Amino acid sequence: MPDVYNWQIGRTMVYPYPEAHPRQQFAAVFNINRCIGCQTCTGACKATWTFSRGQETMWWNNVETKPYGGYPQHWDVKALKLLEEAHQAAGVTPTWDRTQANEKAPYGVYNGLTLTEAAGPNEVVLGYLPTDAEWRSPNFYEDTSTAYKGGPFGLSPDGATLPEHQAWFFYLMRICNHCTYPACLAACPRKAIYKREEDGIVLIDQARCRGYRKCVEACPYKKAMYRGTTQVSEKCVGCYPRVEGADPLGDGVPMETRCMAVCPGKIRLNGLVEVAEDGSWVEAPQHPLYYLVRIAQVALPLYPQFGTEPNIYYIPPRWAPRPYLRQMFGPGVDQAIERYIAPSRELLAVLQLFRTTQKMIFRFEIKEGPLVREVEVNGKMWQMYDDTVIGFDAQGREAVRLSVVEPLHQRPPERPNSI
Amino acid sequence: MLNRNRLILLTMLLLTALALWLKAPVAGSQGLTITAARVEGALPVAAPDDPLWQQATAVEVPLSAQMVAKPMWPSPSIKSVTVRALHNGKELAMLLEWADDTRNDSSLRVDEFRDSVAVQFPLIEGQPFFCMGQQAGNVNIWHWKADWQAALLARQSLQDAYPNIHVDYYPFAEAQENIYLAAYTDVDYLTAEAVGNLLALPVPSTPVEDMVAGGFGTLTSQPAEAQNVQGYGVWQEGVWRVVFSRSLRSDQADDAALAPDKLHAVAFAAWDGANGERNGAKSTSQWVSLQLGAAAAAAPAEEVAAPVGAPAAAPERAVPPTNTALVLVFVGLLALAVVAGAIYLLTLEK
Ligand code: SF4
Ligand code: SF4
Ligand code: SF4
Repeated sequence: MPDVYNWQIGRTMVYPYPEAHPRQQFAAVFNINRCIGCQTCTGACKATWTFSRGQETMWWNNVETKPYGGYPQHWDVKALKLLEEAHQAAGVTPTWDRTQANEKAPYGVYNGLTLTEAAGPNEVVLGYLPTDAEWRSPNFYEDTSTAYKGGPFGLSPDGATLPEHQAWFFYLMRICNHCTYPACLAACPRKAIYKREEDGIVLIDQARCRGYRKCVEACPYKKAMYRGTTQVSEKCVGCYPRVEGADPLGDGVPMETRCMAVCPGKIRLNGLVEVAEDGSWVEAPQHPLYYLVRIAQVALPLYPQFGTEPNIYYIPPRWAPRPYLRQMFGPGVDQAIERYIAPSRELLAVLQLFRTTQKMIFRFEIKEGPLVREVEVNGKMWQMYDDTVIGFDAQGREAVRLSVVEPLHQRPPERPNSI
Repeated sequence: MLNRNRLILLTMLLLTALALWLKAPVAGSQGLTITAARVEGALPVAAPDDPLWQQATAVEVPLSAQMVAKPMWPSPSIKSVTVRALHNGKELAMLLEWADDTRNDSSLRVDEFRDSVAVQFPLIEGQPFFCMGQQAGNVNIWHWKADWQAALLARQSLQDAYPNIHVDYYPFAEAQENIYLAAYTDVDYLTAEAVGNLLALPVPSTPVEDMVAGGFGTLTSQPAEAQNVQGYGVWQEGVWRVVFSRSLRSDQADDAALAPDKLHAVAFAAWDGANGERNGAKSTSQWVSLQLGAAAAAAPAEEVAAPVGAPAAAPERAVPPTNTALVLVFVGLLALAVVAGAIYLLTLEK
């Protein structure tokens, strides 16, 4: 099998097809810190694409509660376990070498096996097929509390004192990652899955698919799904008509997808990044996604060790245990959280762009404003400036303009309560 | 790293290419010949129990694991199929029987796979690669599916598989009078059906899909209007019995032409759904020969070794390859191809 370069793991890896990259890549940044778990994204996708017979258990967008929740149930635990077993069998201890980090390998080099490298002799990708029970409800058991362990007579030995809250959780919002090296595509024996040249969106050809479910088995994120009533598999289509600019609302320019555009938590920023022939992102410091992922490096891929080079990037939650987060988002977690907690002037401005226009933003500009606040963050002084950020659409037209400090509107006294 | 599978594939392709070039006559590489007994009148196309099948000699065709293209399948369940064939000068019918403890005739749930069986004919003179054919060596494949057979009786919805499933409503599934719901229905929400994928049709016209292939990954359904293979299958007491039938003549380019005066090559494959078998995860046979018997030379009944319904019982091992010299040439070519393949691959790896 040919070797392909995966910048997220900082090295070449085994893949069944040689490198061939799209001109642009569909990508997004999800800010976990701000998600309120409202499932509006989930509903928007469902109402747009998966409301028909046979799609009952299909949620192309889902939001699960970590660490216990998962759709399908335990998808990440199972994928990680398979990989762990493969590492044990091969006598490999997977580690990340941060010292080798450079421009082409921003997170350093991953020394373990990816899912294509860990596959057995008879398969292309290491994976498993979830059972029907595992798909049945997207948030199964997530709001079930653990049992109360009382002392004698069921009373708390600590009396009325409230224990320190040991529990933690965060929402993980997931769609298909429109991976650079999709595991679903690699595993399809019919080549019925393809990655679009124009935007890198990964689609299943509904005419060629024969329902073998090798993609369902291979995708570690379990975002290829089977539809029993048509006997073929389906997956997130990246709302491609909107990305193409075909939505009448968008007046011809690429629009954010449905799940992105509805988010009330304003946690999502979706766009297209330009890709060079060698698969690297063309340097574009004024592109919000390029800036967040490659320059500020606050947004990280989900399970980069799987090796699919996923294109949805997450700003990790500040409060969850770091070993858990490092396993999930790789070694860039600590730096990302540090930078997010006390954002640079530019980062703070770019963070304002999330979910403020349905048009995809291709470039931003910042107009500097006055210093408005100075506070201590983690023992260091941090300054906040009321800068203004302007986002431009695909045609270079201004799409949105925002200041860091939200303008305050005070109702006149005669109408204190009117809407 | 020297890739064993690539070596095997290359060797087999070289060998078949050489065989084609030499115009080697079609003799089953497993040395088996199935003779379709000539009978008068209608064939028992939907009756595996019909006494007419007694007139056909049962041939047990051994199957083995598909180990050439990934996903490979080292331990398939089905080790052989027993084949009988009849023809009446107009139509061919083949009865395939194999042991399978479980009946898997639904593929509605994400984790269930159907039982199925396939018959394959070359579309060129000679023998292309025995598994799915090869480039410029297309094959015609008839694929019987247990769930299509079941769907002919009643198409299932998820509500059949999961009676307690709750769904608020299905927009556009039925036209609604309620002004908040759509007043029209639209098939486009069944994407695969809308693009004409035969698998997605609500009710298949036959349990057999008529297809064409020219190598791994190229299997393509013939258009809906070109589906002309009939089938009928029943499962009873751990045995599947499936009848395939088609008229001998077909004017379609992607259909095998079946002629009484010719020795045809035919191959078989079978899948056990309970074992997760689908696509290349299957058991396949090599090419065997199929001869349509002449009217006068109908097989005498006493040669029938296996009673219908007991597939594995004492099958007939039929005619070995006739020409010893040709076999020697073949063995020589095989050795040559292996050496050539190894050299080629070794240079590739550098
Ligand atoms: S997330 Fe899964 S389904 Fe989506 S492109 Fe990657 S491997 Fe394929
Ligand atoms: S991008 Fe579109 S298709 Fe994909 S999950 Fe979001 S709404 Fe659904
Ligand atoms: S819509 Fe936004 S805030 Fe709500 S669950 Fe989805 S990602 Fe979170």
